[in-house]
Amino acid sequence: MTQLMLQSLSPLLIIAFGSVLSLLLIAWRRSQKMILTFTLAIFVCALLASISLVMNLTDEVQVTILMKVDNYGNFAFILILVASIAVGLLSSTWLTHSVEVHDEFFILLQLVVLGAGVLVMSDHFAALFLGFELLSIALVGMVGYSRDSQYSVESSFKYLILSASASSFMLLGIAFIYSQSGSLSFAVEAEPIYSFFYSSGILLFLVGVAFKLSLAPFHLWTPDVYQGAPTPVTLLLATVSKIAMFVVLMKFWFSQSSLIVNNDSVLSTLHLISILAILSMLIGNVLALKQQNIKRLLAYSSIAHMGYLLIVLMIISPQSVTLAWQSALFYLAAYVLATVSLFIVLQFTEYNHEDIEQNINDWQGMFWKNRLLALLIIVAILSLAGIPLTAGFIGKFYLLNVAVQAQQWWLIAALIVGSGIGLFYYLRIVFTLFSDVSEEKNSSLIYPAVGAKLTPMMSISVIVFILAGIILGVYPDLLSQVF
Amino acid sequence: MNITLVMCSLLIGGALAWYAEGFKAQSARWLALLTVLVVGLYFVISITATGLDFSSLQVLVRLSWIDSFNIEYALALDYLSIVLVLLTLFLAIICILVSWQEIQTKTGFYYFNLLASFAGVIGVFTAVDMFLFFFFWEVMLLPMTALIAIWGHENKHFAAIKFFIFTQVSGLLMLVAIIAMASIHFQQTEQVSFFYQDWLTLDLPASISFYLMLGFFIAFAVKLPSVPVHSWLPDAHTQAPTAGSVLLAGVLLKTGAYGLIRFVIHLFPQASMDFAPVAATLGVVSILYGAKMAFAQQDFKRLVAYSSISHMGFVMLALFSFNAIAYQGAVLTLVAHGLSSAALFALAGMVYSRIHSRDLSNMGGFWQSAPRMGGFALAFTAAAFGLPGLANFVAEFFSLVGAYQRFPLMTILAAFGLVGSAIYGMVLFQSAFQGKEQGKRQGESKGQHQKGENKINDLSKRELLVFSSLLALLIIIGFYPNLVLTFFQDSDLRLAITSTAGGQ
Repeated sequence: MTQLMLQSLSPLLIIAFGSVLSLLLIAWRRSQKMILTFTLAIFVCALLASISLVMNLTDEVQVTILMKVDNYGNFAFILILVASIAVGLLSSTWLTHSVEVHDEFFILLQLVVLGAGVLVMSDHFAALFLGFELLSIALVGMVGYSRDSQYSVESSFKYLILSASASSFMLLGIAFIYSQSGSLSFAVEAEPIYSFFYSSGILLFLVGVAFKLSLAPFHLWTPDVYQGAPTPVTLLLATVSKIAMFVVLMKFWFSQSSLIVNNDSVLSTLHLISILAILSMLIGNVLALKQQNIKRLLAYSSIAHMGYLLIVLMIISPQSVTLAWQSALFYLAAYVLATVSLFIVLQFTEYNHEDIEQNINDWQGMFWKNRLLALLIIVAILSLAGIPLTAGFIGKFYLLNVAVQAQQWWLIAALIVGSGIGLFYYLRIVFTLFSDVSEEKNSSLIYPAVGAKLTPMMSISVIVFILAGIILGVYPDLLSQVF
Repeated sequence: MNITLVMCSLLIGGALAWYAEGFKAQSARWLALLTVLVVGLYFVISITATGLDFSSLQVLVRLSWIDSFNIEYALALDYLSIVLVLLTLFLAIICILVSWQEIQTKTGFYYFNLLASFAGVIGVFTAVDMFLFFFFWEVMLLPMTALIAIWGHENKHFAAIKFFIFTQVSGLLMLVAIIAMASIHFQQTEQVSFFYQDWLTLDLPASISFYLMLGFFIAFAVKLPSVPVHSWLPDAHTQAPTAGSVLLAGVLLKTGAYGLIRFVIHLFPQASMDFAPVAATLGVVSILYGAKMAFAQQDFKRLVAYSSISHMGFVMLALFSFNAIAYQGAVLTLVAHGLSSAALFALAGMVYSRIHSRDLSNMGGFWQSAPRMGGFALAFTAAAFGLPGLANFVAEFFSLVGAYQRFPLMTILAAFGLVGSAIYGMVLFQSAFQGKEQGKRQGESKGQHQKGENKINDLSKRELLVFSSLLALLIIIGFYPNLVLTFFQDSDLRLAITSTAGGQ
């Protein structure tokens, strides 16, 4: 292992080493404050390491046969770390109202991040499976973590069973691919003979990934698990797990895409992906229309967003792969930013009104009572809806560019229809913020959370998120020059 | 000449108004008015001061913005955009004056939204980088939607969502066309470009250019609006506050026409030529359908909204006739309709503020108590149905004369729209201002008036100012249309159109 390899793997090593240390820390003294600080410190160190890596790394580095560190993966890992820091901070407010000390929760969080890190760096099916399982198993523990809550058993079991079946599908697919290509690496050197097994292997592999990305028709678990899991964990599911799975899917896809084009029967895989994408865009948006619960609504909208994102896989010419990566990473960044913003608000209002079930109406009239928080919601929602001035629009612009290059007119049509439908429920949320509470009967006093004061720390972070959402939308070069 | 300064000062003025309202009530409207006046003055002075020849597009700013796509921040002006920006600024003053008393809640935020949408509209009229154009195109929707959704009437959320979704979805079609154009530019020159004048030099294959043209056309036809994508307009107009309606009818509809002129016809001359019969048919259908529907309305604002659809049909017909006279007629129609429909919506708002109803059956006999208002109402309905001496007459006459040379049959049909407009105009005037005083029921149920009377207050000084300035402009342009038309006598646009028309 050379110096360079060690250096390029340093973010992952920091997390791995940190989680071992945290175990020791728990054995030494159980204190929630301490473990929280320690976890955040680990994440920040890893973040700094990743950022310096992105600055300095010029070429991709193959670290053993299992992993390949490149700037795309690094950038994805930065996103993951940012989201995880948000999760850590949010869970600290959530965990305080219990007598128990919840050190384990933070260890699980570190393991999730480690698994996600392995996934985004992997270049081999073994690394992929390792990361996948690390991520899933730790997440199962976290989804069911608040065991007194009404939904915790249901949602954790749903998640456990479905991710177990997803990983078995995936394993079978990997086995099929291996049986034809003779290699577990993503990049295949020799030209093997392709057959029915190769395409069905890819199909099964896609099914496994689609479960995790909650693409229609494998999306059925998403709303229930989103609703049942504690809010910070939902955020983790919505961001970290999706980024990691999507990035690894792209790595696999673009390594083998040259083979996929040459293979006639595999061309139907492209059709399959576009069908998955169109279904997800339409089903996700249509089902979100009537949702009242914010988390369920976000679950359905995330299905649609993953559908939009699948467009980047339609690029098959090697010279456009860079564009595909840039589009996907920008879109993911905008999506993560918006989702984290919404969950900050969600956690804040939930914390202040003790009801787990959060409906859109709970945010009624927020704009007149708590302007900063409402602005954050507006920027985040507009970003998800892809309206100019926000980062989400640039993400959509990137995706449309990809789609036009790949000449996927059907996907474009579905994207337009999907975002048209999406506007209904996005605008409903925005209008709720503006609606006059005094107009409604006796609702003025039910939701004190809407008017609750922000702490100075909180105000600063809210302002930062608002500015980030707008600056990336007005001057996207800040981000797109990174990768 | 600094358009960026104009837009920024509108935004900053709006923000200041919002901020100041928190300290002193009713300071917002004064600040807003002051901002628009100063900005308008600056614009007029700097236009006359620059020695540039605006008969062709003059690029004023060109900075690189998003390097990864070679997107630029580029603004330009020619006479078309100058006329439309002036119209926008003038109507901005009208909008502020008509909301003077009407808006009583969340006033500061209201004026911020109003000024922000004017800034966005000016951006639309001046942007020549297509990405920037799309950016403004969408951004101006946000404050407009807020105006409808927050200060609108009973069914405001529905109307606001409908308005937003119609424009947003059609806008995405345009975005796809824009991206496709940029990628064609890349294929032909090895460089991505979103700059309008680069696109003019492209050599488009006929098969693709039709679809690209359609992408732009749909977006602008929705905004214009043309049948069959007009259905958002009556709802949005009915629910919007008065200034919102004035803004929609006077300015936002013009962005659709502007887009048709600047982008559809210029970028895709051949494709729009081939498409012209369809577009002209749509225009004629809009004229007749709008007139017929206007006649059937009981709601004051809905009636005026359908009449807008009818008038915008003339613009569509005239533009797609590819004829210099028709083109001048179209531009004149934009100005004339901007003024006359703004006046009618302002009138609707003033009536609403007095009797709290938009229903024509609750009106009647207003002439007795408010003769000045009645006189102005008569003048404005006369303008709407094209009485000679007012701007609309010249505009529609030019449009029809020009269009006749290309589509004789359709122009004859379109001329029936003038008859229709006379009918609904008279229906509007008679049922509101003449006849028996019908206010009893309304007066009792709302408790707004004393029993048995239907007295309404006549115009206040502020309202008088609004109406007389609008009417003065209508008359001036009606008698001396060259005021607008001189700028379009020998513009390159006219040459382009006639040369393509002649080449066929």
